[in-house]
Amino acid sequence: MRPFNKLLVASFKQFFRDKVALFFTFAFPLLFMVIFGLVFSGENDVSYDVGLVNQDDSVIGMTFAESIQKVTIFKVSEGALDDMLAEFKRGDLRAVIQIPADLQSAINSGNVGEIIVYYDPSQTTSSQVILSVLDQMVSEANHIITQQPVVLKLSEQSIQARNLRNIDYLVPGILAMSVLFLGLFGALPMVEWREKQVLKRFGATPLRRSTIVLSQVAYRLVLAVIQSTIIIAVAYFAFHVKVVGSWALLFGIVILGTLAFVSLGYLAVSRARTTESAMPIIQLIQFPMLFLSGVFFPVDFMPGFMRPIVNALPLTYLGDALRQVMVEATPLHSMVVNIAVLAGWLVVSMVLAIRFFRWE
Amino acid sequence: MSNPVVEVKNLVKTYGPITAVNDISFSIRQSEIFGMLGPNGAGKTTTVEILEGLRSADSGQVSVLGMDIDKASLKIKQKIGIQLQAPSLLPLLKVDEILDMFAGLYQQSLPLDQVLGILDLEESRHVLVKNLSGGQQQRLSVAMALVNDPELVFLDEPTTGLDPQARRGLWAAIEDMKGRGKTIFITTHYMDEAERLCDRVAIIDYGKIIALGTPHKLIMNSFEEKAIQFELEYQESEAVWKNLPGATRVATDGNEVVLYSNNIPVTMSAVLRLVEEKNLTGQLKDLHVREASLEDVFLKMTGRRIRE
Repeated sequence: MRPFNKLLVASFKQFFRDKVALFFTFAFPLLFMVIFGLVFSGENDVSYDVGLVNQDDSVIGMTFAESIQKVTIFKVSEGALDDMLAEFKRGDLRAVIQIPADLQSAINSGNVGEIIVYYDPSQTTSSQVILSVLDQMVSEANHIITQQPVVLKLSEQSIQARNLRNIDYLVPGILAMSVLFLGLFGALPMVEWREKQVLKRFGATPLRRSTIVLSQVAYRLVLAVIQSTIIIAVAYFAFHVKVVGSWALLFGIVILGTLAFVSLGYLAVSRARTTESAMPIIQLIQFPMLFLSGVFFPVDFMPGFMRPIVNALPLTYLGDALRQVMVEATPLHSMVVNIAVLAGWLVVSMVLAIRFFRWE
Repeated sequence: MSNPVVEVKNLVKTYGPITAVNDISFSIRQSEIFGMLGPNGAGKTTTVEILEGLRSADSGQVSVLGMDIDKASLKIKQKIGIQLQAPSLLPLLKVDEILDMFAGLYQQSLPLDQVLGILDLEESRHVLVKNLSGGQQQRLSVAMALVNDPELVFLDEPTTGLDPQARRGLWAAIEDMKGRGKTIFITTHYMDEAERLCDRVAIIDYGKIIALGTPHKLIMNSFEEKAIQFELEYQESEAVWKNLPGATRVATDGNEVVLYSNNIPVTMSAVLRLVEEKNLTGQLKDLHVREASLEDVFLKMTGRRIRE
């Protein structure tokens, strides 16, 4: 046990003196989260820029204009019709609402008062929202003006179907990415040690090879837990991403994922002679996996013919498992399948790595 | 006399078509400094690595500290200390940390301060390995061979690349180890180092031991004469030199001429006369007389210099 502890402590001492390793392990995932968090955070409080042209200074006209101003999802700017339409055509406004000068007089004389909406039918979503809001306002105004009793009213109960924000989707992805990086790069020190004859030097001591590997794997696992804790903490305090599911399961998945990717990393570089040749091999696995496994955007976005690839990658299952346990996202696969696939990758990579890893 | 610390019988090691070690036998006694001398690729490192348990032999018997190397590898490793050529250590550990880590790999260890003291590393104990000078790194690699207070220490070209002062410092440390009863196996291609340090020397070439004995005996067996050595920027046939009065043998290497003689004054004046007659005085450089050395022994036995 003493050699194991000595190696583990030495690994950590070296790690905390290696500024590049510190940056990529801790700062990089956080930077990623902060940048993407800020980029995507705007989309959550939806609002539409709307132009208002009120040409009727009667009571009805003023009241209607006022109620438009009060709609929370409208950002209203007022002005003359020509100016507003010009802005609309430039794309600065989603719609322009015109209250004509003769609105009250038309109503008083028993005719139908008209409110004109200029909108762009090609902007499907925003047009629909704006039109339905206006439609509702007009019908409410009808009731008030005609003083007919309201016999039926829709009581709106908005149900918060755990509305996943972008950041909620993103944080488990970043966690999965960090586990991927930490794991795949886990074998790099061994390649360096082999290249620089440190393994040979260890070979001349009573140290067993299994102790070297075990201490390296243990070191990676501890790093993975520290790293995940920091990411989760920052996600919680900075972006209010709460862990919904079980903490034990969450860290269990992190550890399983780290083990799987450490094994895969050892297998990938088992024959690489130098760190310079090991790096591209790792990157060749890492980047396609990162973009094909849906950790940063939903798998639905990917064309159908790529699905088999997506379904083969271990990162797909790690990302899905973390997303389920952290934010209870809709599962792609059941948790049992996720864990089984990760365990399968772990066992197969480990067996092959033990078979092929070159010590000299 | 106690049992030999190392006993090698008919050791053979081949790499494909190359026979790196070709049927060598030798033994090393308690508390001696045993040197293995030879050019690069002669089989020194292969021999050492087999003794250290880093490689396996093709055939032959090797016992270290009375134990069979194949059967008791881990037990042997507890009791030997090893310094490797071109040590690449863990660059982000401090001197005392790396020594402490290596000490932790053994069942027994020497106090850290003592190890630092022997190699004169006290002042750099808190320095990161990557910030050490070449000489300090070399001494650290020797220090790492001592952390487990070994009975047998292997030093593989320990002074390569060191300045003269650092070399003398390391020699003193090695002699100190011997004084404390350690047995030391050292490989080197520095002849002066072998002559100065080693109790016995084995000269190895093309995988075979071609001479074995004390440095003094090896030199005496080969030479009664001394050597006149000089450089001359003019190629003269060897016969011309050898026919000079008093000259016994000659060895030339490019412009360098080594002329062995029983009668230095006679031969020397003949050399100078010849140079003067041919009007080559301006081309004569670095003329000196010296005792024969292990270098000369190697040259005589192989016809080559040890450092190509």
